[in-house]
Amino acid sequence: MSASATAGMPRAGGTGGLALGLAVLGFALLAGVFGPSLVPHDPLVQELAARNAPPDALHWLGRDHLGRDVLARLVAGTRISLAVALGATLLAVGLGAGLGLVAEALGRWPSFLVFGAFDMVRAMPSILLALTLMVALGIGIWPLILALGVAFAPHMALVARATWRREGSAGYVAAARVMGASSLATLWRHVLPNIAGALVTQAAIIMPRAITTESVLSFFGLGVSPETPSWGRMIAGASRYAESAPHAVLAPVLALCIATLGFALVGNRLRLALDPLRERGR
Amino acid sequence: MSTALHAGLGLLRQAMLLAGIAIAVFLLIRVVPGDVVDAMALEGSLDDDAIVALRAELGLDAGALTQFRIWAARALSGDFGTSLRFDRPAAELILAAAPTTIGLAALALAAGLALGIGLATAAVLWPRSPLPALVEGLNLWSIALPTFCVGLAAILVFSVWLGWLPIIGQWLSPVVILGIDIGGQVAKPLFEDLKEAATAAHIRTARAKGLSPVRIVLRHLLPNALTTVVALGGLILAGMIGGALTMEVLFGLPGLGTLAYQAISGRDYPVIQAVVLIFAAGVVLVNGLADLAQRALDPRLRR
Repeated sequence: MSASATAGMPRAGGTGGLALGLAVLGFALLAGVFGPSLVPHDPLVQELAARNAPPDALHWLGRDHLGRDVLARLVAGTRISLAVALGATLLAVGLGAGLGLVAEALGRWPSFLVFGAFDMVRAMPSILLALTLMVALGIGIWPLILALGVAFAPHMALVARATWRREGSAGYVAAARVMGASSLATLWRHVLPNIAGALVTQAAIIMPRAITTESVLSFFGLGVSPETPSWGRMIAGASRYAESAPHAVLAPVLALCIATLGFALVGNRLRLALDPLRERGR
Repeated sequence: MSTALHAGLGLLRQAMLLAGIAIAVFLLIRVVPGDVVDAMALEGSLDDDAIVALRAELGLDAGALTQFRIWAARALSGDFGTSLRFDRPAAELILAAAPTTIGLAALALAAGLALGIGLATAAVLWPRSPLPALVEGLNLWSIALPTFCVGLAAILVFSVWLGWLPIIGQWLSPVVILGIDIGGQVAKPLFEDLKEAATAAHIRTARAKGLSPVRIVLRHLLPNALTTVVALGGLILAGMIGGALTMEVLFGLPGLGTLAYQAISGRDYPVIQAVVLIFAAGVVLVNGLADLAQRALDPRLRR
């Protein structure tokens, strides 16, 4: 019945959205990888005489409040923001899906303990948890990856458990067990390939949230160290001069908005295409 | 399982969650290298004897377990310690900041629910209009554009560029931005739910006996959808906390988010602890209430 109602309706995140999202991601990736060597300025060099200078032919995006080249910082920040988000997402997958699946495969008690811990972590909004962890761990790239990874791991664990339970009742799992495969071997050889789609989808959903949370934390002074260019640090530094130098805020804000939009479009499309859980509703 | 027993178990679970979070927050902040006394000693005014005496006075020489017991007992009676920066009780700072945050959250929630419920209902009533597409678009908006980004963009456009709104101290932008975000999160699942509920037998009956579509939606359809909104409560609240943290700081509103921001910049650990705990308690409380409300609203869950 829903098919008739939605027929003819433009679908948000359709193939157009996917193409746009992939284009954005591709561009961001290229900018992060090659940008720093293409921009002829050093993102850390300050030129105090040119504080808040508007864009000109030499400095395409102008200078920030310490006279640093905004474009150089933007591409360097792209590299850092993307690397942190990617690292955090991978950690979330490893921690959440890894621990969750192994605990599920090992039986009732390990599962109860691990998911009890995840439940506790999940009761706190991820931004609040990441913030608390950063207060404890101190600033820096590695603490940031750790904090974000831990904050998003429970979401990953829940998806892993739901897919594992659904697959667990499938015939091939029973067949593998009857043939004498251990539960961990069954998980690795037979179940994992079948639930990889759902895990990738969840990772694609976590990625833009990790990017945003990194920015918010850096904005709060808790992300990367102050001189390291990340989008959040750029925003935090330049936002105090938004009235005299809006270009220095606009660049990282636009980058952040466009990147999260790109990731969300791709993630949304992946969810529609891959996620077997979605028929069961949200 | 009886309702009362289930509610009791639910409460117990929430209480355990809160206790767990309290322990975690306490331990996390304790991990931070150096305590107040170290900081004061670095400033050079204390000799070794004074350091030991001050540690004893502040209870910092006791074991972690004893410290936690003392801290928890005090926190339960509303004493979260004293702010290291403002030299006022942390509880007092929180009480002063809470009305702003609660007001912002309440206004944004009202705006968001009105938008989400209104739009979803209208989209079910007029399925051939552009409204269903608008539901999708709004949902994508709230997935794709974090309120942090939108808030910064709004400052640049409406305050810096157009000059229509002051940068700090105004409520319009944060309420609208958070409202749209909540509306987008609510509208999509509610719309899907209403569409499915519209095929139920009692709706067909209502239609067959000639009730107007508006009356069918208001009296027969919407009450069914209330549970969807309640179920989204936890998700919405999590978004609101992130929103409060960033919106208050961006727009200079003196709420809990701004308090947290100042406490973090000033390494004011008692205040950070207190704010995080208050937020966590709020989430646990709302999740528990949402669970109870859902049971009360949806007879199918009671069995």
